[in-house]
Amino acid sequence: MIRVGRPDVAPDAPAHVPGVPEGNEGDAFHNEPGFHPDGTVDARRSTGIDPSRRNPIVAAMPNLPPG
Amino acid sequence: MTATDRAPAVEKPGQLIEMSWDPITRIVGNLGIYTKIDFPNQRVAECHSTSSLFRGYSVFMRGKDPRDAGFITSRICGICGDNHTTCSIYAQNMAYGIKTPPMAEWIINLGEAAEYIFDHTIFQDNLIFVDFCEAMVKDTNPSVLARAENTPAPHADVHGYRTIADIMRSFNPFEGETYKQALKVSRITREMFCLMEGRHVHPSTLYPGGVGTMPTPTLFTDYLSRLLQVLDFVKKSVALNDDVFDFFYEALPGYEEVGRRRVLLGCWGAFQDPAVVDYRYESMNAWGKAMYVTPGVVVDGRLVTTDLVDINLGMRILLGSSYYEDWVGEEPFVTHDPLGNPVDMRHPWNQTTLPAPGKRDFGDKYSWVMSPRWLHPETGEHLALDTGGGAYARLYTTALADIVDTPYVRSTGHSVQIHLPRSHQLPEQTLEWRIPLWSNAIERDRARVYFIAYACAMALYFLERAMAGLRRGDLKVFQDFEVPDAAIGVGFHEAVRGVLSHHLVIRDGMIANYHPYPPTPWNGSPRDRFGTPGPYEDAIQDMPLFEENGPDDFRGIDIMRAVRSFDPCLPCGVHMYLGGGRTLQQAHSPMFGASHG
Repeated sequence: MIRVGRPDVAPDAPAHVPGVPEGNEGDAFHNEPGFHPDGTVDARRSTGIDPSRRNPIVAAMPNLPPG
Repeated sequence: MTATDRAPAVEKPGQLIEMSWDPITRIVGNLGIYTKIDFPNQRVAECHSTSSLFRGYSVFMRGKDPRDAGFITSRICGICGDNHTTCSIYAQNMAYGIKTPPMAEWIINLGEAAEYIFDHTIFQDNLIFVDFCEAMVKDTNPSVLARAENTPAPHADVHGYRTIADIMRSFNPFEGETYKQALKVSRITREMFCLMEGRHVHPSTLYPGGVGTMPTPTLFTDYLSRLLQVLDFVKKSVALNDDVFDFFYEALPGYEEVGRRRVLLGCWGAFQDPAVVDYRYESMNAWGKAMYVTPGVVVDGRLVTTDLVDINLGMRILLGSSYYEDWVGEEPFVTHDPLGNPVDMRHPWNQTTLPAPGKRDFGDKYSWVMSPRWLHPETGEHLALDTGGGAYARLYTTALADIVDTPYVRSTGHSVQIHLPRSHQLPEQTLEWRIPLWSNAIERDRARVYFIAYACAMALYFLERAMAGLRRGDLKVFQDFEVPDAAIGVGFHEAVRGVLSHHLVIRDGMIANYHPYPPTPWNGSPRDRFGTPGPYEDAIQDMPLFEENGPDDFRGIDIMRAVRSFDPCLPCGVHMYLGGGRTLQQAHSPMFGASHG
């Protein structure tokens, strides 16, 4: 018989934690960090850790942060 | 009546023998073909096509959140579900008054192009070619195989097979080289699809107003490297197909009559141009014409319209031989379209599905498929349009419309030129699909492989446009939207095997009415209330037979080739409610072997 620990999450616990943004919220595009109104993005889209250091070093280069 | 007229043959006295195939194998879903065959005269005297499935999507979509529509309707089909998601998104974009950002539109186009390449390849090489393989031809037409052994293949320098019989051997299921290669290609093309739409066949990253796919240089180069891998296979396939199909015309004079019907074709267009499309109904004519596969209706070789508004308003869902009650007494949902044109009660926007199960009776009701027709504005006929298996109608309307003009694909008014670049083994190539003389089984099958090349060429163009956007830093792939309290929308797209439309009505923020019309209800429809047979029935009825077997070991290969040329796709895995709490579960296992003609 497989022994398992006591469950520490109730099966009916909500999937969403209050305070965490949801994709379903209105105005999602403007609330997402790193997205600019002109369609371009910056490194903040991909990471919250010191994003400004990860932007292109030359302004003429497109800003292409990883997925 | 819009059925095909044929010259009466000189009759020998004969007796009709009933032959039926139910379910037909090597297709998706549950299709039955019931025929009466006149063996002394070698022809099919009568044909009925029937489906014993009821799906009920239009029934249970009501009351649901419209944003879920793309995810739910994707489950209509296990092979072209993404076409439904895409079409649903087009309909929702119209209802919500939004448009997909250009980068997201290129991503959807790339995903759909991969789907066409994948699906047409697996159907053609792994399912259709079993009907043309050495084992099958040996069984049904031994004299044709003997001739094939001694007929050199005209394009041997491209595909490497010396004789036509060598090509047929490569089609043998599980063993033949073409069969095995096609399986590998279907894996690569599915990977291409998943790069863009997240998951095959029910996309996880397609939403109204955009996609969840992150555009990066790697995403597009991963797609491109896979596309270049399959180009050799595609170029060889076109040559193989041409050789085999031309041989059939030559070896069996009169074979053009197999599956032939009047040229009555519908194509609802595919691949949006993000520079033009705004998803507004009022400008639907303009953005429909800008699609990279031109929508249109072709009657007897003449393009009647390319206007999506005309196409939309002409749609009529007729009953006559289907297990449903009429809905004319129900309330209409949409009396006028946004341009002020009246909308008929038999239009999908106003349809109410009222199932009424009954016994199968070929004199009365015999199918769960309704009879979609298109009302010809000039003649007033209710036309039983077919899709020619999808590829045939797409190439036909695009060729006649003379609109598509890209560096890789160009319409000439009478043909479509497809330019493929140099690949690993073969040099660059310009293929040309010319409008054939007939709408028959062979030409439907031949068009399929040309459309694979078309989709490859368009994918190259979409990649170039997407990469150009990427270099500008244009990475916007989604936008905000609100679900309105009341709205209507329609999406027009091409499922792999033909026309696809989704009609949506929203009331109180919920779906009030939703009607998807995929290709097979058009192709597999039964006789309507005017007595007009559906396209399968029309194509098979009065068809000559070339099989050498007699009634005792009859395989019906010519009939199967005619039906399968339409790429039938009646949805499978159906749950049918029988009342009294019993649920009948029906599972369908495709039989790949040649022994199941």
